[in-house]
Amino acid sequence: MTSAALTSRVGAASAAPTGGAPAPRKPGGIRRRDRVVGLLAVLPAFLIVVGFMAFPVGFALFISFTKTNGLTYEWRGLDNYIALFNDPIVHQVFLNNLKFLISVPLVIFAALIVSVLLFERVRGWKFFRVIFFLPNVLSVAVIGIMFRNAFGYYGGVNQALAVFGIEPIQFFTNGGTAIAIIILALVWSGFGYQALLLLAGLTSINPAVFEAAAIDGAGWWKRLWYITLPNIRRVLGFVFIINVLYTFSSLFGFVFVMTAGGPGFDTTTIDYLVYLRAFSSTNLGSGAALAVILFLFIGILTLIQNKVFKLQEED
Amino acid sequence: MAVVEDDVVVSKRISSSRTQWPIFIALVVVAATIVYPLYFVIITSLRPNADYLQDPFGLPGEWTLENYLRLAETYGVGQAFLNSMFVSITSVALVLVLASLAGFALAKLPVPGTKYITATFVSVMLIPGPVLIIPIYLMLARLDLVGTYWGLILVYVATGLPFATFFLTLSFRGIPDEVIEAARIDGAGFFRIMWSIIAPMGSSGVATLAVLQFLGVWNELIFAFILIPEESMRLLTPTLASIGERFLTDQPLVSAGLFITASIPLILLAFASRYIMQGLQVGVSR
Repeated sequence: MTSAALTSRVGAASAAPTGGAPAPRKPGGIRRRDRVVGLLAVLPAFLIVVGFMAFPVGFALFISFTKTNGLTYEWRGLDNYIALFNDPIVHQVFLNNLKFLISVPLVIFAALIVSVLLFERVRGWKFFRVIFFLPNVLSVAVIGIMFRNAFGYYGGVNQALAVFGIEPIQFFTNGGTAIAIIILALVWSGFGYQALLLLAGLTSINPAVFEAAAIDGAGWWKRLWYITLPNIRRVLGFVFIINVLYTFSSLFGFVFVMTAGGPGFDTTTIDYLVYLRAFSSTNLGSGAALAVILFLFIGILTLIQNKVFKLQEED
Repeated sequence: MAVVEDDVVVSKRISSSRTQWPIFIALVVVAATIVYPLYFVIITSLRPNADYLQDPFGLPGEWTLENYLRLAETYGVGQAFLNSMFVSITSVALVLVLASLAGFALAKLPVPGTKYITATFVSVMLIPGPVLIIPIYLMLARLDLVGTYWGLILVYVATGLPFATFFLTLSFRGIPDEVIEAARIDGAGFFRIMWSIIAPMGSSGVATLAVLQFLGVWNELIFAFILIPEESMRLLTPTLASIGERFLTDQPLVSAGLFITASIPLILLAFASRYIMQGLQVGVSR
């Protein structure tokens, strides 16, 4: 094989669109065998994913149209959905989820500050990067219980307040403070990772822009406001959307270990209500319908995200 | 994939040494908000409850491993730790094998319908966990797998595979076709190529994936709680959750449980942070 042919093939391979098969170039027999072998290699993973992720979504849809205890299914059409839309608990829980959205600007603000600090690459910034990533390797069970402990009756926060002569506060018997503490746990566990996402966005800004600004005498704050922020608005948008998705679909762990949804339903979120309906009521259909609504909601958010990003990539 | 560190020199030049110190101090302060709570947990876990209540913020007047021993002997945390280890290692091993096979085929072989298969893997990644709870529970109940580790492992493998396959397809694509072609001409078959070319050349990607998947399974709570109702078979995270609920007044005991659960992820972060950070890069490009 000549080196020219070699380089052209390497070029073709690296230029191939993602997801495309390598260009056909082998004799038919080998190629047919490759197709069979390739298919057999993909098949186990594909079947498991279809069977235990894609199929369950369809199954959930079916369950949502029935009244069921898991053994017998009674077709009820849209009854479960209509009941949900008229259920005051569902209304309250949806409002709770909206309250948790307060965490989004807080996380992003903290992440932004940290990413800008990291971007200066002061001595030891790589070490700090690992530290900020630390909450991300911990289980929500660990983080949740840690915060629940810290704000518990005998926890560190009340002990610290006692030093100033303040009576211990029952943070978890009041819906407002309980939500505030879950939000605090969310911010604590999320800002580091998102700072690293934003940092990746910052790094992709052409350094020449900064140099030019610096030569023109723009100070640190001016550079931050006029160059850094406008240039990472795409990543900021991405981080915003993943945070919103997270508050609607992944608070289960925190709620489960910190408040169990209480007091009353004050800290129950939609995903926690799905669990409550599934395992403490006689009708699984209701829980499934709620899950389907959640799925649609998240699907729509994701579509909006994709659209927005496409548009921004074009400008 | 571009590595972040490339333009260190440039930005060093921009920020003058005058601005360096305030930024360093600010970073230390932020880092302290993360490290201090963990330090507090570790210190608290090493003292008796009475000692904690006397002076929670000082150093312990009495150091003890009593809390750990009590958890292991009386509350089955030792067994739960081993259960979690077994389930995590088995799930990760299965994911790695299946995702390597699929990733190699999708990256290097003319699999019919590659586009649709890849699209399936990518789109199921968007399924929110809560949607799966009810149908998965009912399906596994029908298969008699509720209350067994194999049911739980199956769920972890299924939920881990989409990202794993996607990730390995990307990283195997970087292996030059010529190497594979040469091996083929020498008569190497599919498994021979997997073992002696893909495995060593893609080892960094596989290691990254192994660490990420292990963390995911080790830390998982919902399915571990729902699918293993039997208390003696419980994994670590549900055990920790129930201990946290029962011993509100015994902070040192709960802290010991927290540290046991957090220890493995912390060790992984300490020794494999390179791989974890690499995985992060891919997470961004996704």
